[in-house]
Amino acid sequence: MEMAGKEGTDHSEKPLVIAEDLAKRFGDFVALHPLNVRVHAGEFFGVFGPNGAGKSTFIKLLTGQLKPSLGRVEVLGIDAETEPQLLKANIGIVPESESPPSYLTPAEFLEFVCTLRGISDINEKVEYWINWFGLKEKRNTMCRDLSKGQRQKVMLASAFIHEPKLYFLDEPFANLDPIYQRKCRERLLNHVAEGGTIFLCSHVLEVAERLCTRVAIIDSGKVLAAGTIADLKAYENETLEDVFIRLVGHTIADAEGVGDGMSEEE
Amino acid sequence: MTNSISSTDWDEYIPNPELRNISTEVDHRLYSVPSLSESFMTTYKMMFREEWRQNVDFAKKRNILLFPALLAVVAMVASIGLRYLVGQGVESDAVLVEEYRRAFTWQEMRFALHFPLFMFSLGMGSFAFLGRVLVSQRSSGNNYLLAAPALHPLKQSTNYFAYYLKEVTFYVMLVLFPVVCGMALGIFLGELIDLPTPLEWSSIPLISAAMVITLAQGLAISFLGSALWTRGGMWGKVIPLVVIILATLFALGSLKLEWLIIGLALQSSHNILFLILGVAASLGMALLAANSVGEDFEQAVIEREELFRPVYDRLGFLGKGRMRLLVTKEVVDLLRSGTIKKMIVSYSVPLIVLLLLAWMIDFAEAPVPINLLSYAPFLGFFGFNFYTWLTGIDSPEHMNTLPMSVPELIRAKVVTYFLTTTWISIIFLILMAWSLDAWGVFPVALVVMLANSVYIVSLTAFLMGLRPNKAIFDASIMTYFWIGTVIPLLFLFLLSFTQGDTAFYDNMASALIEEGINSKNVGFDDEKAKQGFGGILVISFALLLGSGLLLKLLNRKWGHAEFSN
Repeated sequence: MEMAGKEGTDHSEKPLVIAEDLAKRFGDFVALHPLNVRVHAGEFFGVFGPNGAGKSTFIKLLTGQLKPSLGRVEVLGIDAETEPQLLKANIGIVPESESPPSYLTPAEFLEFVCTLRGISDINEKVEYWINWFGLKEKRNTMCRDLSKGQRQKVMLASAFIHEPKLYFLDEPFANLDPIYQRKCRERLLNHVAEGGTIFLCSHVLEVAERLCTRVAIIDSGKVLAAGTIADLKAYENETLEDVFIRLVGHTIADAEGVGDGMSEEE
Repeated sequence: MTNSISSTDWDEYIPNPELRNISTEVDHRLYSVPSLSESFMTTYKMMFREEWRQNVDFAKKRNILLFPALLAVVAMVASIGLRYLVGQGVESDAVLVEEYRRAFTWQEMRFALHFPLFMFSLGMGSFAFLGRVLVSQRSSGNNYLLAAPALHPLKQSTNYFAYYLKEVTFYVMLVLFPVVCGMALGIFLGELIDLPTPLEWSSIPLISAAMVITLAQGLAISFLGSALWTRGGMWGKVIPLVVIILATLFALGSLKLEWLIIGLALQSSHNILFLILGVAASLGMALLAANSVGEDFEQAVIEREELFRPVYDRLGFLGKGRMRLLVTKEVVDLLRSGTIKKMIVSYSVPLIVLLLLAWMIDFAEAPVPINLLSYAPFLGFFGFNFYTWLTGIDSPEHMNTLPMSVPELIRAKVVTYFLTTTWISIIFLILMAWSLDAWGVFPVALVVMLANSVYIVSLTAFLMGLRPNKAIFDASIMTYFWIGTVIPLLFLFLLSFTQGDTAFYDNMASALIEEGINSKNVGFDDEKAKQGFGGILVISFALLLGSGLLLKLLNRKWGHAEFSN
C-alpha cells in the first residue's frame, strides 16, 4: 500500500466530494433533507449550525458511517455506501465526542491504526505524533485514564497519522487547550495551502471566520445559506454571529423560551 | 469553482436525473483497503490486550491469576478422585459389585465435562449483541476496538472474526489450559502417592482438543444466533424458535447431545474426523456470523412518545424517592433498547427446559423424588444472567455528576429485575404445578422461588456491583458466589424430597440400587415431612433476610465506587 501524493495546490473543477440528493431519515424523523453538495480540492469547507441541526449526520453520511435513505455520496472517486472501507482508507475522520479505545494506551492505539493503514515506519510515526500532541508522558497511560482533551488529541493524531489529502472533522477543537487549538489550526491551514481539502462541522463561528474558505449554515437538516463569509453578510457591519442568528431564526429570547410563549410556570 | 450546496424540503423533493452521474476526480494514487492478513493480526493482538486489561482493571492481576489456579486445583482433585467416580477405586470384591453400580459411566463423566462447558460458551458468545451495544455507546466515554470499523478501514467481518478468535484464545488460556494442567498434575500426583487415576497421559491431548472444540463450537453457535438476530426481520422469530425446538428435542431425548456437541463426540469416539468436523464447523459458523453482522453503524434517531412519565406514574407503589426514579430509568432503558425481548427469551429458555424436564420425569413416572419444590429454587437461579444484561444496557458514567451513589443504582437494578422477571417465573411455576398436579405445595414453592430469585440477584449485585460480566474471572468473587449459591440451593433441593406428591424414599439409595426402575417407595413419616417443610421455610426466610442484609451492605462495599460498567 502506498500513496504518491502530488505536491502543490490543485483547484481543478472536478470536485473531490459529491453528494447528490443526499438525505437521511430515522423513521418519521428527517435528520437531513435532500441535499446537494460539491467540495473541491484545496477548499476548507465548513458546515455550521445549532445543536441538533444535522451536522454530524451529514458528516457520517459523507464518510460511509451511515447509509443514506436517499441519494448518493462519492468521495475521491469512491462510492461511500458500497466501498466504505476503501473510503476510510483514504480520508481522516475525527468524530464528535468519540474516545479512543479505553483499554489501549495512546501509543498502542496509534500503532494499531498505523498497522491497519499499512504504514511502514510505524515507530517513527507514532513517536512523532505523540510528541507533536505533547503526550509523551501519557504514551503508556490507558486512554480511559486520560483527560477529555488528551483523548481528543489521540483521536486527532489517529486521523493525521496517515497524512490523507482529505479530512472530515466534526468539532475537532472541542476540549483542546488554546495552545493546541492554535497548533492544529495552523496545521490544517498549511494542509489546505498545500492542496489538501478539509470538510469541517462545528457550531463555533470563530472557527469559520478564521479557517473556512466556504461555509454552509444548516438547521433542522436543511441548508439555509452557503458561500464565502463575505457573501453571507447582508450589510457591512454584520458579524457572523448576527448572520447565524438571522438565518437560523433563533434569538436568545427563543432559547430562553420567551419567544414561543412558554412562561416560567410552564 | 461552483458554489454548490443546496437542499430541498423532503416533501417538495423531486428527483432530478440530470444531477446524477457526475463523478469526483483524484490526482493522487489511493490507499487500498488492508487485506485480511494485514488487518487481522493487529486487530486480534490488540483485542487480546484490551480484554486482558479490562479484566485486570476490574479484578486485579492477583485475582485473575488465582482463578486459573483454582480451576487447576479442582481439576487435579477431580482427576485423582476419578477412580472412585467411575467405580475403579474399591479393592474388595465383596463390595465391588454394589460400588460399581453406584459409579458413573465414562460417558456420564464426559457429559459432565462437556455439557457445562458448552452451556458456558453459549452464554458468553453473543458478540453481535455486544457489538451493537459498544457501537451505540462509542461516544459515551468508553470505547472498544469492536467499534473500530466505524472510523478505520477495517471490515466488520474481519473485526468480528478476530473478536471470536480472541475470545476462544482467552477462554482456552484462562479456563481450559488450567483444567488440562490440573488433570496432568492429578496423573502425576496419583503416580507419586500411589493412587493411580484411570486418566492416562495419552488421553490428555484428545481431552484438550475435545474441550477446545466444545468451547469454540458453543461460542460460534451463540455468535451466529446473535448475528442473525441483529439483522432483524424474520430472524427475530426464527432464532428463538430454533432454540426452543432444540431444547424440546433434547428434553424429550430425541436429540442426543453427542450429535450436537462435536467435542463430546470426539472424546467419546476417538475418531479424528470429529476433530476436523469440529474445527471446520466452528470456524465456518464463526465466519458466517462475522459476515452476517451488518456494515452500518446506524444509531437510529427516532422520536419516541413520552415513556418516562407513564412508567413513573405506574411505579407509584415504590413511593416518591429516588428508587422510583431510578427504576423508571431502568425500565425505560429496557424497553427503548429492545433488550427486554432478548432478556425474556434468554430467561425463558432454561425455564422451558426445566418445565419439559418436570413433565418428562412425571410422565415417565420415574422413581426419582423430584417435585414442584425441587424445581422452585432453580426457577430463581437464572437471575444472574438477567442482572448481567441489566448492567450493560447503558453506560452509568453520567451519574457521576449527580447526587446519588452506586448502591442506590444497584438496588434499583435488583428491583427492576424483580419486577420484570417475577411474572415469568410465576407463570412457569403455575405451569409446573399444573403439569405435576401439585397445587398443594404451590404456595410454599412460590415462597421458595421468590426467596431464591431475590437472593441470587442480591448476592450477584453485592459481589459484582455494576460489572458482573468482568467478575467471572475473579477467583475470590466466584468462590464466594459458588459457596453462596450452591449451599442453600443444595439444602433446599434435598429438603424438597420430603414433600410433594412423590414422597421421599426413606430407603431410596438402596432401593434404587437393588431394584432399579421397579423399586417401591417407602414414604417418609409425617414427622420427617414436617421437619423438612419447616426446614424449607426456614431456609427461604433466611435467604430473604440474607438478601435484605446484602442490599444493606451495598453501602459499605460500593458506597465509594464510581459509576462505571
